[in-house]
Amino acid sequence: MERGKAGEFIVLGVRAVLGGIVVALALGFAAIVLASNAQAAGTVAPADARAGELLLTTGTPGEYTVAPTVETEVAITVSGVAARTRVTQSFHNPGAEFVEGVYVFPLPDKAAVDHLEMQIGNRVIVGEIQEKDAARKSYEQAKSAGRKAALVEQQRPNLFTNSVAQIGPDEMVRITIEYQQTLGYENGVYRLRFPLAITPRYVPMKAPVEALPEERKALEASDAPLVQPAFESAGPTDLVNPVDIAVSIDAGVPLGAVSSSYHDVRIDRPDTGHALVSLAKDQEEADHDFELTWSLAPAAAPQAALFTEPVAGRDYALLMVVPPTPDAAQKAAFQAVPREMVLVIDTSGSMQGASIAQAKAAVDEALDRLDERDRFNIVEFNSILRPMWPQALPATSANVRSARDWVAKLKAEGGTEMAPALTFALDGSDTPGYLRQVVFMTDGGVENEDQLFRLIAQRLGSSRLFTVGIGSAPNTHFMTKAARFGRGTFTYVGDVREVHEKMAALFAKIESPVLQDVQVRWADGSPVETFPERVPDLYLGEPVMLSAAAASFAGTVIVSGTLGTRPWSVALTPSSSPTASGVGALWARAKIAALMDAMRQGGDAEKLRTQVVAVALEHHLVSAYTSLVAVDETPTGPATRTLKTALVHAALPRGSGGGAIPQTDTSATLQLLLGLLALAAAAIVALIGRSAMQPRAA
Amino acid sequence: MRRATLLLAASLALFGMTEVGAAAWIHAKGYVAQRLIASAWSHASAGRAPRRPWPWADLRPVARLTVPARHIELYVLDDASRRSLAFGPGLVAGTAPPASGGNTVIVAHRDTHFAFLKRLAPGDEIDLQPAGGRIVRYRVEDASIVDRSQTDVMENEGTPRLTLITCYPFDAIRPGTALRYVVVAARVA
Repeated sequence: MERGKAGEFIVLGVRAVLGGIVVALALGFAAIVLASNAQAAGTVAPADARAGELLLTTGTPGEYTVAPTVETEVAITVSGVAARTRVTQSFHNPGAEFVEGVYVFPLPDKAAVDHLEMQIGNRVIVGEIQEKDAARKSYEQAKSAGRKAALVEQQRPNLFTNSVAQIGPDEMVRITIEYQQTLGYENGVYRLRFPLAITPRYVPMKAPVEALPEERKALEASDAPLVQPAFESAGPTDLVNPVDIAVSIDAGVPLGAVSSSYHDVRIDRPDTGHALVSLAKDQEEADHDFELTWSLAPAAAPQAALFTEPVAGRDYALLMVVPPTPDAAQKAAFQAVPREMVLVIDTSGSMQGASIAQAKAAVDEALDRLDERDRFNIVEFNSILRPMWPQALPATSANVRSARDWVAKLKAEGGTEMAPALTFALDGSDTPGYLRQVVFMTDGGVENEDQLFRLIAQRLGSSRLFTVGIGSAPNTHFMTKAARFGRGTFTYVGDVREVHEKMAALFAKIESPVLQDVQVRWADGSPVETFPERVPDLYLGEPVMLSAAAASFAGTVIVSGTLGTRPWSVALTPSSSPTASGVGALWARAKIAALMDAMRQGGDAEKLRTQVVAVALEHHLVSAYTSLVAVDETPTGPATRTLKTALVHAALPRGSGGGAIPQTDTSATLQLLLGLLALAAAAIVALIGRSAMQPRAA
Repeated sequence: MRRATLLLAASLALFGMTEVGAAAWIHAKGYVAQRLIASAWSHASAGRAPRRPWPWADLRPVARLTVPARHIELYVLDDASRRSLAFGPGLVAGTAPPASGGNTVIVAHRDTHFAFLKRLAPGDEIDLQPAGGRIVRYRVEDASIVDRSQTDVMENEGTPRLTLITCYPFDAIRPGTALRYVVVAARVA
């Protein structure tokens, strides 16, 4: 009885909507017919661009010029603790007109760029260093007179542009840039990075008022709007910016293992102290950074080294000291102090894909390390800031579990508003009895770097800021500097498989005593100008690295400090071996960085600028205020003021999920149709059921 | 027998209603979100403190896009991810900020916010007002259909312009097309 009533009710309901459904069904079929017509029309307008080629719109719609392509060859020569790199960029113009090519490219953040060469056919023109405006003027003059010219300008300390004027139809112009750098050294491993990709930088819509005490004119040079390349994904066969890399290592002492972190390479070992590394493939796409690591044979690992070079009547020195590993008692005493850890995760759109997965794995690793006495909190930020809890809570297993759930749900979307996150994490508060450590995970895709540095310096208090670079092209300049202002360290994680190892190394560092109060005493008491002026606190496995200049270096240098709670010192004498070249350039680069930091912290901008220019001109270095320019004497192109300019494409960082125009359709139509069809089917079934019943009822 | 038939009819009806509901939800979300953002926008432009369109919103309008002749008014969000596009058109990261010198690229769904693109013709005027800025006028020059891999349409170089992109064909039933409809408008004022 009951069942019969219910059935009747449903049948009635179905009959009531039946009329409507029939109409909807008709509409649905009409939609299908219309859509299939539209689909056929989709093949009408194919654009005739080929992948891997760059098109420039001209004034007239539908008319294009092809932009130059760039191939890069990189030759790196490592000697001891420094490396010299020769980067050759071959600009080729496949078009039929003279054009200007502009190529935005990254270099290591401590690169001292001191040499520029332009090669046209067999002629080589060597560039000279000039103040930025003067160099730009020389370049523009040459360009409008139809002469070839090349200009290397610094956009950020790790981002440069190379402009090449008057590249003729089907012509090849080769530009060579050389720079000097020191190598990373940690836990007995040397690390050489060559950046190959640029993370598209996020430009904050408005700077938070708090982060901007007052805008300083002086910083315009370093916080100026970036020239951003258009990004492009490589097609299946063509490379956007093909790169070839070769590294020659001369360690001076027997080498241990050599390995490439992210690229397949061939490694030849002609003898124990040398290694030659080249890419296994002829060329690679410039979409993720190249990293080479090597160690020295155990007995050869240096505890201290001092290299010197005389340049123009002055002596320059590079000093490296590796502090001893702390013993178990020192470690135990340090680890007895509980910690308050704040994990900050960048969940902006640029973290999409592999990067966010790496960040999550890194947080997991961090949570494993906490014990019940510790406190912690997690914060995610993109366009907005979202802390897990308003303040740090004890790391009980229940809290850790809920944190893991919270992290698992994070998604990468939106902008990168970093200032609120730093403001939250560095609240200037000090929890008595706790070591406060902030671990900041990001790809550093931000543009307002200087504001953020000021923010960190102002709010740090007794906290320590550790930055973790995520993704295939993190902004290491930003993160290294941020960690320095935060008195912590920077860790780079390039691959999700490395998360465990790299994070474990970071936590071993955080949990170990620090070498503090490092002092360097030079022999004869003559004035020595060193950079950094004060050696920062050192964490486990980090060496003391120092550049110095003086009238002459002779006699012994004593480096001392406090390791955990005990005093520690070491004495060095300059090696009598042949002087190391490039030590002077490294000192000048370190001095420029120190002057720029002083400016950031509110020093006299005009005075500091003059000092930067003086050092840069003396040492032939590209800086925020100086550029290298090479000009051809003979005109080869048309004298014109309106040369077409093409920004050469950059490959999108690997794994960033870009490379296609976003998908912009929804399943609404499909769902509507499916729904209507199902309703219609329901009606039909109900009708059949009803008519099958009727005879029995009659 | 009768029970089975009824059960089948009921479950088909249930499925049908969920699907129709889901389709309606997509349209409703797109419409309601835009109205909420509009109210937050006028709140902010009236000089009052900015507030979120809805309490848990994690996106931000960066520009107001209007086509006076076609009575279109849309609020462009700062993100072009799939999730944000449900609420409104998104500015593609890395392209020029709205009303600046370069190529501003905005994408939106073909069946909701940007369904009107198919009716835009050369000469039509589009106004774009960045948050806290002046209105900038663009004039439609050209419309074309490209493959999704042809990212050169999003290049930030050449003349100041606005590029509006949506999926093509407009009335396709299945999502996931590889084609895009691209409208290019040059800056006129």
